Amino acid sequence: MSGSPAVEARVRELLAQVLDMPASDVGPGLTQASAPSWTSLNHLMLVSQLESEFGLFLSNEEIRQLTSYDRIVETVARPSAGD
Amino acid sequence: MTAPTQPESRTLADIATAVPPGASWAAYQAAAHALDRVPAASVSPRQRARVALLGSFTLDPFVPVLRVEAARAGLWLDAYCAPYGQYLAELIDPRSGLYRFRPQVTFVMIDGEVLWNQRWAQNPPLPSEPVVGGLLTPLFAGLEAFEREGTGLVVVNDFVLPRRSTEGVNAFRNKGTFAHTVAHANKHLRLRLAQRDSTFLFPLADVVAQVGRTQAFNWRTHYRGHVTWSDALMGAVARRYAGFALASLGRATKCIVLDLDNTLWGGVLGEEGPSGIALGPEWPGREFLDFQRELLDLQRQGILLALASKNNEHEVLAVLREHPYMLIREEHLAGHRVNWDDKAASIRALACELDIGLDHMLFIDDSPHERAWVREQIPELRVPEVPPDPAFYADWVGSLPSLLVLQQTPEDLRRTRQYQESRSREVYRASAGSMTDFLRGLGLRVAVEPMAPESTARVVQLLGKTNQFNLTTRRHDEATLRRRVAAGEWRVYTMRVTDRFGDFGLTGVAIVAPGPERWHLDSFLMSCRVIGKSVESALLARIAADARAAGAAGLAADFIDSGRNQVARAFLGQHGFEPAGDGLWQRTLGDGGPEWPEWIGDAGGPAPAEVGGTR
Repeated sequence: MSGSPAVEARVRELLAQVLDMPASDVGPGLTQASAPSWTSLNHLMLVSQLESEFGLFLSNEEIRQLTSYDRIVETVARPSAGD
Repeated sequence: MTAPTQPESRTLADIATAVPPGASWAAYQAAAHALDRVPAASVSPRQRARVALLGSFTLDPFVPVLRVEAARAGLWLDAYCAPYGQYLAELIDPRSGLYRFRPQVTFVMIDGEVLWNQRWAQNPPLPSEPVVGGLLTPLFAGLEAFEREGTGLVVVNDFVLPRRSTEGVNAFRNKGTFAHTVAHANKHLRLRLAQRDSTFLFPLADVVAQVGRTQAFNWRTHYRGHVTWSDALMGAVARRYAGFALASLGRATKCIVLDLDNTLWGGVLGEEGPSGIALGPEWPGREFLDFQRELLDLQRQGILLALASKNNEHEVLAVLREHPYMLIREEHLAGHRVNWDDKAASIRALACELDIGLDHMLFIDDSPHERAWVREQIPELRVPEVPPDPAFYADWVGSLPSLLVLQQTPEDLRRTRQYQESRSREVYRASAGSMTDFLRGLGLRVAVEPMAPESTARVVQLLGKTNQFNLTTRRHDEATLRRRVAAGEWRVYTMRVTDRFGDFGLTGVAIVAPGPERWHLDSFLMSCRVIGKSVESALLARIAADARAAGAAGLAADFIDSGRNQVARAFLGQHGFEPAGDGLWQRTLGDGGPEWPEWIGDAGGPAPAEVGGTR
């Protein structure tokens, strides 16, 4: 279900960087709806950063659903995500 | 770690340094947010640049990358990003956001995809002429309209074939291919942009090649949201754009100061001798030839070259004159300091001699120790890190963003002549006997005049940067000068100097507060280019004559020790001033003098006393 501490730390840092939030505010419960800076453009860029950082291939459906911290951690932690 | 909660006191350079070249877009985004938190008061007006971005794809993600790369070059960017795809409307409509923004530089970024889509407006696709005309005709009309407003530089990217073509091995025979359309568009774009001094072609294809085409485009974000450039391409383009922004503000590098040993040749001249240094057509040595060729290409564009080297001067001159493979010769150099002094002192001396601000100079030295020392001593100097292996020098020097010459000004050309004059003068000095013989033979002429309105900028510049021969180093600004002159509190004298070898231009300034008893020198300074010619005596003599004519009985002068202006204190003692405590020096005018040196001709117009009215 949840990823390794290293993966979570990296996800937290990426979200903090893209959304301009303190890393301490990024964690379980953070969703696109709760973060005003999580715009559609930032979502596009965030997904691309996740793809290159973790070597992911995501389906359109997965991209649409990557709208919360928990969902992102779950997706990037999955072996060979998207296959 | 790179979380966006940053201390408020970070500088532009700190923020940019935290984002290494090749960093991810997320790192740029975080650093750009940190830039937003830099207090406005800590950014000087000289660091601010207004830059507009127009393009055919989604440009918003490029803005943080550009701001961070500009910060690396020392700039705080105010960026305007035109609405998606609106580049033609923004260029043509004088009421658009672009016009209201009044940018100093406008970058136009039209993707090759626009040509691709126009080509495929029909199936089978259209040939080159209607496709290129369909894009470039309205684009050129837009550029024309925008140029009429005369707002800054316009830099237009060339068109790039974004991927490998499927047009087959016979495509090169055929005008109907997309590759031909792109080449045709670039040809017309180049011809049009070359017609104006204010429009430039940006070699995007070159940057794509540098990044590698497969790494340059992100097809996923391209199809999902029209974000076509990869993180790597955004970074590489932004670094070059920063150079345009620097140059548009007049902040590009004007002079490169070079070390010699292991920088312009391999090895240490003092140890290995002229035949032992590595410089020639075979390795080791070839890499230095190419580096010198690149430097000479920069020199031909108008960037001055100078040397600061710890060596014996006669040995270096012998290499410059006689080494068969040395490409940079004496005639390419604007100046040199070859001695065993501290290099920071040598660079300061060059800045003074060449009349170029230290913030317009760049220092290249292979020694990390020298770089660190000079950086610490002269924070405003550009001291880039140098590759650890000379094999990379030639490629590296082309990547320095501040080495960008927009155009050569008449002033640049005059400078080169000044150096030649100064060399003739040195030859003559060596042949003259005594100092007085030398001065008599120079044919000096001095014009001391009230500050003319068109000289104000030069006066403020000299007040701002003269360090050695400067009694007080008070850095008055233009507004203060104008106000106090208008109020009758100050008289500002300027001094122009010529000799038989050439014209030094406006090289002396005195600011005098005339009192009924005593005239007080608030400022008295001379460019180091005219130190040692006794012309300061002429300037002082004119002030003394005016003071005496106005009924004053004496002169007073302030001396503020800046650590580097001892030559100015000596001047006071030599001209009859005596210390009266607290940095004040005084002399009476009762017993005549100070005299205008008899070997200096008076080329002056009316004195300030005659122009400014009597008091």
